[in-house]
This record gives sequence, structure tokens and C-alpha cells, in this order.
Amino acid sequence: MDELEIAASTVEEALEEAEERLGMKRDRFEVEVISEGKSGILGIGGEEAVIKVKPLPPAEEDLVKVAREVLDKLLNLLGVTAEVEVLSDQIPTTFNIKGDDLGILIGRHGQTIVSLEYIVKLIVAARLKGWQPLFIDIGGYRERRRSSLQQLALHLAEQVKLEHRDITLEPMSASERRIIHLALAEHPEVVTHSIGVGEDRKVVISPKQS
Amino acid sequence: MKELVEYIVKSIVAEPDNITITEENSDEGLLIKLEVADEDKGRVIGRGGRVAEAIRTLLRVKAAKDNTRVRLQIM
Repeated sequence: MDELEIAASTVEEALEEAEERLGMKRDRFEVEVISEGKSGILGIGGEEAVIKVKPLPPAEEDLVKVAREVLDKLLNLLGVTAEVEVLSDQIPTTFNIKGDDLGILIGRHGQTIVSLEYIVKLIVAARLKGWQPLFIDIGGYRERRRSSLQQLALHLAEQVKLEHRDITLEPMSASERRIIHLALAEHPEVVTHSIGVGEDRKVVISPKQS
Repeated sequence: MKELVEYIVKSIVAEPDNITITEENSDEGLLIKLEVADEDKGRVIGRGGRVAEAIRTLLRVKAAKDNTRVRLQIM
């Protein structure tokens, strides 16, 4: 969430208004006093107090606690029995869902897990008053998929280089295409771009023009 | 099914007390109708319909588990 400027007759009143507008106590945001304000005589010559406030990023424990609660609730409502493992050492914080028969949560090309992650992020953002980075995985599926896509990208780049022709990959989701683009971003001999629309969008690897 | 939509929608709108969700059974499965305050419409639909699409994706998971079909209509 962005900065907010608040004017009131005193700094204290401005702080109270900030607490109300942000929906959080003053220890959870950063305060910069721009003007202390002056009371003036009979309301003449007075100056308003102005403060600038900015919410602090929530503590890591808050994010884990809230995200875990939201995820547990959603899994429960979906009728899925699973356990959530929190990997706090990963960036962003990763929530790995573990259990049997979780293919239904992955979906075609991982679309369902992407939707679940998006909904969790939306709810967590509403609770913590700001967008929080987090990653949801299922039994390490996305992690494995990421490394196999990276390997595929490097392997195909080699082929593009040797055969000197474009190679088009199968359709992928935005986050999967991003893995391919990033894996080859620094590659000295190939470039990547995407073609097609919607569900049919795919990455093309081409030789770099020299 | 309704509980799932209710939990998600109530958590992301500005006026959680101002939502109505009804369920109708038809030959094509379950039809869920969702009504929210005007100012919350954008929040449940999202840019390019992204939020609504994500809610529908999760509903399909639940429907598949229950062996039925479901549609979500935002009024």
C-alpha cells in the first residue's frame, strides 16, 4: 500500500485518523511528521498538522500465520485432506501442500494451483493491508516442473544453435513461460519470445541475429 | 459449494455484509448466483476477469470431487 498524507488539527488527531483509515494500530505503520501544526488565535492564523504514513511490511510470522490459516480453510472447503508445510527459508515464503491424490489441485498445466495461489494472495492482501509475496506448491510439483523446464530450455537452446532454426514449445501458462524466458535471458546465442493468445500461448526460441 | 464462494468473496470485498449468494439446481448441474455491492464488483471480477476465473477454477475442483458440475454467475 502507498503512502497516505493526513491533515488534522493536531498530530494526535491525524494519527487517530490514520489508524482508522488504515485499519491498523500506529505501531504497524511508519509516521513522518511534515507539520506539527499551530493553533492560532480564534481559529485565525492556525496551521494544520500534517503527517505522512506508510504501512510497515507485516512481520514474517504474521504472513505465515495468516496465509496458513487461509490455505487450511480453503483446502477444507474444497474437501481436500492435506497437510501444509511452511518453507520459511525459501524466497518468497513457500507453502507446500502435502497429501495423497492431490493431482486435482494441480490441474491442467498447473492452472489450478496458480488459481489457488492467486486467491490465497488476494485474501492475505486484504487481511494484512498489502500485497505479500508467497508461493504455493503441491508435493514439490512446481519445483520439479521448474527445474525440468529449465533443463528443457537449455537443451532446446542448444538445438536451436546447432540447427540454426526456431523451435516452438508446447502451450504453457504465464508463470511457466516466464521460467523459460528467464532460463535463457542470459544465453549468448538464442533469444525467446511468445506467440499465440490465451491458453494457446507458447514460447519460441530463435537463434540470436549477429 | 456456496460456502466456498462465500468465504472467498467475504474475505476480499469492502462490504462483506452486503453479499447475496443463491444456489439453483438444473440439468446442467449447480448454478451459483452471486450479488455484491456495486463498488465490490470490480474486486470479485478482477482485471480481465482474473479473480472470477480463479474462483471458478476452485469451484470446478470441488464440483469434480462431488461428481457434479457448477457454474458461477456474477449478477
